[in-house]
Amino acid sequence: MFRFYCEVARTAFRRQAIYRWANLAGLATNIFFSAIFSYIIIGLFHVRPSVAGFTLVDTLRYTWLVQALLMIIIPFGWTDLMLTIRTGEVVTDLSKPCNFYWYWFSREVGRNGYYILFRALPIYLAGMLFFKLGAPAIGPNWLGFGLSVLLGTMLGIAYRFLYNIVAFWIVEARSMITLAQTSALFFTGSYIPIPFLPPWARSIVEWLPFNGLMNLPSQILLGKISGGTFWLEVARQVGWVMVLTCGCLLLTRMATRRVVSQGG
Amino acid sequence: MRMFLYDARLYFWLISMQIRAQWQYKFNLFLDIVTYFGVTALEIISLLLFFIPFPTLLGWKVGEVALLGSIMSISFGLAELVGAGIDNFGDMVRRGEFDRMLLRPIGAFTQVIGSDFRLRRLGRITQGGAGIVVALWFLPNLHWTLTKVLVLSIGILSGTVIFVAILLLGATICFWTIETTELTNMLTYGAREMLSYPLTIYNLVLQRIFLFVFPVAFGTFVPACYILGRPLPFNMPGEVAFLAPVIALIFALIASQIWRLGMRRYQSTGS
Repeated sequence: MFRFYCEVARTAFRRQAIYRWANLAGLATNIFFSAIFSYIIIGLFHVRPSVAGFTLVDTLRYTWLVQALLMIIIPFGWTDLMLTIRTGEVVTDLSKPCNFYWYWFSREVGRNGYYILFRALPIYLAGMLFFKLGAPAIGPNWLGFGLSVLLGTMLGIAYRFLYNIVAFWIVEARSMITLAQTSALFFTGSYIPIPFLPPWARSIVEWLPFNGLMNLPSQILLGKISGGTFWLEVARQVGWVMVLTCGCLLLTRMATRRVVSQGG
Repeated sequence: MRMFLYDARLYFWLISMQIRAQWQYKFNLFLDIVTYFGVTALEIISLLLFFIPFPTLLGWKVGEVALLGSIMSISFGLAELVGAGIDNFGDMVRRGEFDRMLLRPIGAFTQVIGSDFRLRRLGRITQGGAGIVVALWFLPNLHWTLTKVLVLSIGILSGTVIFVAILLLGATICFWTIETTELTNMLTYGAREMLSYPLTIYNLVLQRIFLFVFPVAFGTFVPACYILGRPLPFNMPGEVAFLAPVIALIFALIASQIWRLGMRRYQSTGS
């Protein structure tokens, strides 16, 4: 069975690789917007050297990291699953001899593999080139980052599955998807770096599932989370991964029981 | 003139048809509006949150940046409302729908802009209105005069014209390449995002581009500076704010000439 899932992931990787020009255009857009954010941050930092332990360089690195991880963890406009539900294609996927959730999970793992190589890395390299970011970390931080970003990716896949599967109940789910994506982006530091929030807001945001998406891996790589807090944060992330994954599996079972194929 | 009135009537026919169609799906419209308010609220909140740790953005206070962003939202929202059909032009060309339009004895431009009108796009204009309220709350000492109100209104209108012209330029590229929407998005959405903040935070090349090549700044930054009594870059006097309509019209004329050039060259996709 595991071999099958690996094959699904490989196919997804190759399928993504076909859209070379679309990726290039998307890459240019990501870099452009990251540059705008950088200019705003540089302008803001004119009045004080650091906020909550974040210097200008830290904040720029954080911003570019979050933007680099974006397509891996919260791919904006991801409605692939919803569209198969609406068109009825989902029936073919449901009748495959494998678990529906793990099938989509493998597909997304393959796609993410592509985006790590051809989206995340080029974005951060562009940041290093245009804004002299330098490497984000040394030695051990990369280990913690590797663990946390892996969990963040699992969390991201479960989350996108959840807000797409509502299409089984609501036919036109597009605006709900926009809201789900925007709030996740907000609560994981894509609008404003989480460390800049006032302390009371931060203590709430840290308990939300979104924290583990992009904020936590980025902060770990920048070395802002140390020793004991590190394990607490990772434990929270693991907890949310389990909750969301269980949610996905449960909703899949509920949905398949009442599935009525549309279109024909 | 009669031709223009005819086109205008046709345009309103086309959009009223779409409004009636969208009104049929009330629940969807309601969901769209709720979503829109959610997204908008998050955008305004994150702007306000930035100004808790930082007092100013290169000297601009929170209310001033909010005012600038709101002017941008309103003029971009108006442009989107009018020009959304232009935004989908790439699809139209690819699917061959544009050929059908050319066969009708009506101006192609009117049909293109009348082809996609979404009620939910009123949302962005509402966002601009809400933003202005927030901005004024933070700027109690701002002294309003009749000329400032005039500058604000002509600024917004000029901004709308400039954005529609940019959308049209983006669509024109489709005559040559069939597919480019992503890059035009960068120009329109990117310009909107950039010009929602003071132009002076960017480097000089970008400042020149948005003042003199794609003069979006004349619809937003220049009138905002006039209202707030701030100096303009490149030692321009504040009064250039009154030139905004002239600049917008020149830019629109250039864009429409390029559109005509593209039309003449158009050979269908032949699929």
